[in-house]
Amino acid sequence: MNQREVYIIGVGMTKIYKKAPVSADELGRQAIYEAVKDAGISPKEIQSIFIGEMGGLSGSICFGQRVCGTIGLGGVPMANVESACSSGAIAVHQAYKDVASGRCDVAMGIGVQHLSGSRTAGTGLAPDPSDPEGIQGATMAGMYAMRAQRYLYEFDATPADLALVAVKNRRHAANNPYSSYQKPITVEEVLNARTIADPLTLLMCCPNADGGAAVIVATKEKAQQLGSKLVRISASSLTSGIFRNDFRDMTEMEITIRCTQKSYEMAGLGPDDIDMVECHDAFAIGEFLYYEAMGFCKHGEGAGFIRSGGPDYGGKVVFSPRGGLLSCGHPTGCTGTAQIVEATWQLRGDAVARQVPDCKAAITHVTGGGVYGLDNAACTMHILTR
Amino acid sequence: MEEQVIYHPDFFAIPEGEGKPYLIAFHCAGCGKTWFPILPYCPSCWSNQFEKIALHTGKLYTYTVQNTPQAGVKAPLLFGFVDFPEEGVRVGAQIEVEAGKVKEQLKIGMEMQVIAGPIREEKGGKQVISYKFMPAV
Repeated sequence: MNQREVYIIGVGMTKIYKKAPVSADELGRQAIYEAVKDAGISPKEIQSIFIGEMGGLSGSICFGQRVCGTIGLGGVPMANVESACSSGAIAVHQAYKDVASGRCDVAMGIGVQHLSGSRTAGTGLAPDPSDPEGIQGATMAGMYAMRAQRYLYEFDATPADLALVAVKNRRHAANNPYSSYQKPITVEEVLNARTIADPLTLLMCCPNADGGAAVIVATKEKAQQLGSKLVRISASSLTSGIFRNDFRDMTEMEITIRCTQKSYEMAGLGPDDIDMVECHDAFAIGEFLYYEAMGFCKHGEGAGFIRSGGPDYGGKVVFSPRGGLLSCGHPTGCTGTAQIVEATWQLRGDAVARQVPDCKAAITHVTGGGVYGLDNAACTMHILTR
Repeated sequence: MEEQVIYHPDFFAIPEGEGKPYLIAFHCAGCGKTWFPILPYCPSCWSNQFEKIALHTGKLYTYTVQNTPQAGVKAPLLFGFVDFPEEGVRVGAQIEVEAGKVKEQLKIGMEMQVIAGPIREEKGGKQVISYKFMPAV
């Protein structure tokens, strides 16, 4: 199929809040306002709109229309998309598809989540209680803890290695005014924090958060006309989990491996070309699994990779330059969009103190959803280039 | 006696008399794959012809102690995945060991057996009974 090239012309996001001072709708509107101003277009030029929000947690049906209506965005195709933590990235993926396929020239993807004001406030997210593992009491932290437990059993890795991920991401977040948490932490502090699910301590688990982010995409012609620094979406890839209940290797992220292969193929790039990654580090073990799944080190070598500084400034590739989910906080439906906003700033050279030097290619990656029998329910990846 | 409710009686059986509780897996007559729990159609070949298989003992693949469980579940909650090598099925469920001795009693790879017991309390205090695991004796 003939696809048109797609470029990012405008991005905007709110700060990621532990508890936002405004409603979910308002978080969405603030992000859209910033993105439209950044693009330098009239809001009426946006020809299709997609909003990602997890599971109606913000308490509204047709959440996107509620966000957009009072700022005069309407009368265009608009759809609400949901796949847990992938929701916001899927919204951008849909906008990308509209432009790539020629359906329209300017489209917008938005991610919003207000967890502190939702029915899940103060709880750990968990699989649906109708799932066999959900009714037994497993939480998402528990599921990732079991991946970590098996990883530590099979490979040369310790809880102190897991702590390095939290320490690194917090150090990065210190330079990110959009992050919920910015105070540096030490390996000892991470290890001595209370255990959420053995071996994961509180500081190895991402905090719930609130936030909004928006990304406006367009054709190359439109992007050139606007005269902003060109950031291209070289790959936008979405896949879903495959049901199995046999012996899945829990030290490996099968869905991310599949999605990575598709993304590299689409972009014509490989791990050696990538300068930074915003990954789904909802739990510290996640980064190890994603270093490996994305080909930055071999399976089982995640701990060695971080010990040698591989995923850090000055290393092979910078993982989580904005501080990741671990420090920014995780407003589930917003995160995937917020990662794309960050990658765009990095590629434009606008990331100030946390700028990845000479950043030419960036990956953003979110999985989503604990559903029985699936590695993850969804995986969405973007490769942005300049 | 406390009020109890059995969660999905087609997932496991508690035999009368001396027999030990077991899980009920489903062997597909179409493609030969085995699934747990019951499914309307085989996800591999869409056959709806299954033969029931009893799962008694397996090997511990991984586990965790959750200190922040869901509402209705008491902390700390011990949860693990158990592999049934012959049938090719992995099942996740709560694990029972002697209190305070998790590290001494649980080792990845050890033999586990199916038991039945309360897994959570519903609103109103009703206990939900389902399958669980414990180290094989």
